[in-house]
Amino acid sequence: MVSGAIDREDDQMSDASTYNRRLTPRAKAGLGIFARYATILGLLAMIVAFSILSPKAFSTLGNFTNVLNQASLAMIIAGGLTLAVVVGELDLSIGFAASLHGILVTGFIVHDKLPIPLAILIVLVLGALIGLVNGFIVTKMKVNSVIATLGVGTIITGLAFAYSAGVPIVAGVPEAFLQLSLGRWLFGIPNNIVVMVFVLGILWVLVERTSIGQEIQAVGGNPAASRLAGINVDRIKTLGFVISGICAALTGILLASRLGSGTTSAADSYLLTAFAAVFLGSATLRDGEFHVLGTLVGALIIAFGFNGLNIFGAPTFSQYVFQGAILIIAVGLSSLGRSLAES
Amino acid sequence: MAMGAPVVPPFLVVRNISKAFGGAKALRNASLDIIAGEVHGLVGANGAGKSTMIRILAGLNHPDQGSIEIDGHTVGIETAHCATAFGMSFIHQELAFVPGMTVLQNIMLGVPKRSRFGLTDWAAIARDVEPIARRVGITASLNANVKGLSTAENWLINICRALVRKSRLIVMDEPTASLSAAESEKLFAIIKDLSASGVAVLYVSHRLDEILKLCDRVSVLRDGNSVAEFTRAGLTRKALVEAIVGSAHVGNDSRPEYAPQTHEIVLRVQNLTRLPKVRGVSFELRHGEVLGIGGLVGAGRSELVRLIYGADRADSGSMTFRGKPYAPKSPQAAVAAGLGLVPEERRTEGLFLTKSVAFNLGLVNLDKLVLGRRVPLLSRKSQSSLARETMKLLSIKTASVDSPVGRLSGGNQQKVVIGRWLQRAPHILILDEPTRGVDIGARAEIHRQIRELAAAGMAVLVISSEPDELPDLCDRVLVMAEGLIVREMSGASISRSAIVEASYGERSH
Ligand SMILES: Nc1ncnc2c1ncn2[C@@H]1O[C@H](COP(=O)(O)OP(=O)(O)OP(=O)(O)O)[C@@H](O)[C@H]1O
Ligand SMILES: [Mg+2]
Repeated sequence: MVSGAIDREDDQMSDASTYNRRLTPRAKAGLGIFARYATILGLLAMIVAFSILSPKAFSTLGNFTNVLNQASLAMIIAGGLTLAVVVGELDLSIGFAASLHGILVTGFIVHDKLPIPLAILIVLVLGALIGLVNGFIVTKMKVNSVIATLGVGTIITGLAFAYSAGVPIVAGVPEAFLQLSLGRWLFGIPNNIVVMVFVLGILWVLVERTSIGQEIQAVGGNPAASRLAGINVDRIKTLGFVISGICAALTGILLASRLGSGTTSAADSYLLTAFAAVFLGSATLRDGEFHVLGTLVGALIIAFGFNGLNIFGAPTFSQYVFQGAILIIAVGLSSLGRSLAES
Repeated sequence: MAMGAPVVPPFLVVRNISKAFGGAKALRNASLDIIAGEVHGLVGANGAGKSTMIRILAGLNHPDQGSIEIDGHTVGIETAHCATAFGMSFIHQELAFVPGMTVLQNIMLGVPKRSRFGLTDWAAIARDVEPIARRVGITASLNANVKGLSTAENWLINICRALVRKSRLIVMDEPTASLSAAESEKLFAIIKDLSASGVAVLYVSHRLDEILKLCDRVSVLRDGNSVAEFTRAGLTRKALVEAIVGSAHVGNDSRPEYAPQTHEIVLRVQNLTRLPKVRGVSFELRHGEVLGIGGLVGAGRSELVRLIYGADRADSGSMTFRGKPYAPKSPQAAVAAGLGLVPEERRTEGLFLTKSVAFNLGLVNLDKLVLGRRVPLLSRKSQSSLARETMKLLSIKTASVDSPVGRLSGGNQQKVVIGRWLQRAPHILILDEPTRGVDIGARAEIHRQIRELAAAGMAVLVISSEPDELPDLCDRVLVMAEGLIVREMSGASISRSAIVEASYGERSH
């Protein structure tokens, strides 16, 4: 909790509520509504602006499908991360884990000659295992999740180097494995998109429409009250990490298939994208509460933003600026939403 | 009146204030005036608008209509700073602590401080504050960390701060809800003292005895309207209740006849110990019985029920539940076995403040809300109909079942925590201060529900510091002092005075 507030009226309040106090109630209500729809408006504004500026390159069905296809991998890993943050923890291991999984799946197929489905299955199970380890460290050893998952993530990077010696696995990747990501098996829709919709759909139902989802939301909302309501808080938190781990594995597999190689650090940068998407999402439609649908919107904003920058030939450095700025804006909007909800 | 009109205007006049939150009207044309040095009561049912009125005076909410005058001048209270500058101090319903700071730092929060060479001169401040702190009855050292202090001592710190600021009005929202009887008495003495020295007190409470004893005048709110104002002369309990409820009807809870010894024992506790608070407690609880645990705050009552509920582990001792050995490793195990707990602190231990009323009510009833045993899909229809049913049962006042529970008034939040477990109807329901902050009408209704469930076989364990609650509700009462059960009484021998007497640690039987 905020460190200084003896009672609500006092001066030693969190910055956010000090900030609120200066607003008239009407302005506050207006700001609340604005904050809730700001991300969606931002997304639409961006699409409209890019369409006007560059109708030929941007606003084509081909480009939209392309953006969505590209963004699918980020959406899957961000969807998993959403579960971890809904239970009130952070998972910083996902990017590193996805990189390792990409190497492992190609290695299993190319070197160990495992059948593709089996290789995928093993890697998904490994993803769940990493989630279990994270959950164990956080709930049983009581290590703060930022530190725990950063540590696990670093170890994972080490394992990836140990397995591949830093050399990408490129040669001998079978066409069938490439088709996993490149194929369009269902009505000509890119497989990545199909998988993404499927995964996010399941996650949405799980969180919003099942009894365990109610417990997941409860644990993130108030762990002490959850425990007294008879919920196994440790198990629910671990479940959040496990789902996050599985989604990271899935993203790692699809990325390896798309790149046609297993490369160390290939998926590391998904960490930042996923966080930006999740925090942008928490400011979407709800007051700073993390949810799957929001994450989807957040990921779309980032995807279209990058796409626009690419189309207009923006220099590489600006992509980093965009990435960093969007992360800060996202977290800012998210905490603004939360402070408005409290007032 | 025109002839003898007072030359000095009242300190504070609130005229025809209205305030709506979205569609919900919290105040409609409410008025209030406070004369310097008086103790002014503000009463009304849960959700009547008392806290809203106070938050408006404190500059935390802003009225949609109406005016506020201080010393005869119309003012706008834009921020909490304005309210302080006008000479008002507030002790709100939901009090929070600032752990890691000293008593003195807490007293001086937000108060302009003397400084020397640009540094706060704590020594000089301590010299100034010391006599005021002693006057309000703070016994702890000013340099002590507030972490170990009780709720009562935190109240005193707040009062002390108000005096350091030289406030002319101190507003207290349900002060005795979390104080013991003895602490309440001390507070009353302090209030009398304040009043005698010219400081006005605005006093909000659901305990009418306190209002009758303490207040010079009383204003009554009902559904956001000012419906009555009493002076000392016209103040009776009956008139107050009528004004609050809006009719002469008072919930007259007639207790069903009950012969506890014939029912089966559901829980047997033997020598349960967790030092230092629980030191060898033994008792039996039967189906259909409402068993009260009386005693002072700090006697170890909450700690005892936490052991039974698996929230803490016992050092030694044993329990049997429905004839079988019972040693819950966690609340989850206790809930699975068939226990329920309404915890002492609703906001930190009971509620999910940003989540909806329906979410909060549904949480321990999820098995009833899924489509089938094998299909864990949530039925939103069942969830909101369960919520609506509970709302009606306990008259929970909320704009809708989808409103965040944090937006409800304090008493209505409490009803949500209780309603959740009434719906589940476990074998044993443990209630820790169940009606804290709940108005008289709803209190009678909650008691009636508890009796009804008990009549159907549920065993109930109630902790209460409210003087009349245990005699009103219980078949049998155990009194705890310093971690031990010092007295047992049942049926007609249960009385307020007997409980109080035993609470002070007299160990004879
Ligand atoms: N921030 C808010 N948003 C929406 N509704 C609110 C808000 N604050 C108060 N209300 C509504 O205003 C009404 C009055 O609430 P208030 O807290 O003033 O009641 P109260 O008289 O203090 O009740 P209690 O005795 O239970 O503390 C309630 O119906 C409550 O739901
Ligand atoms: Mg209130």
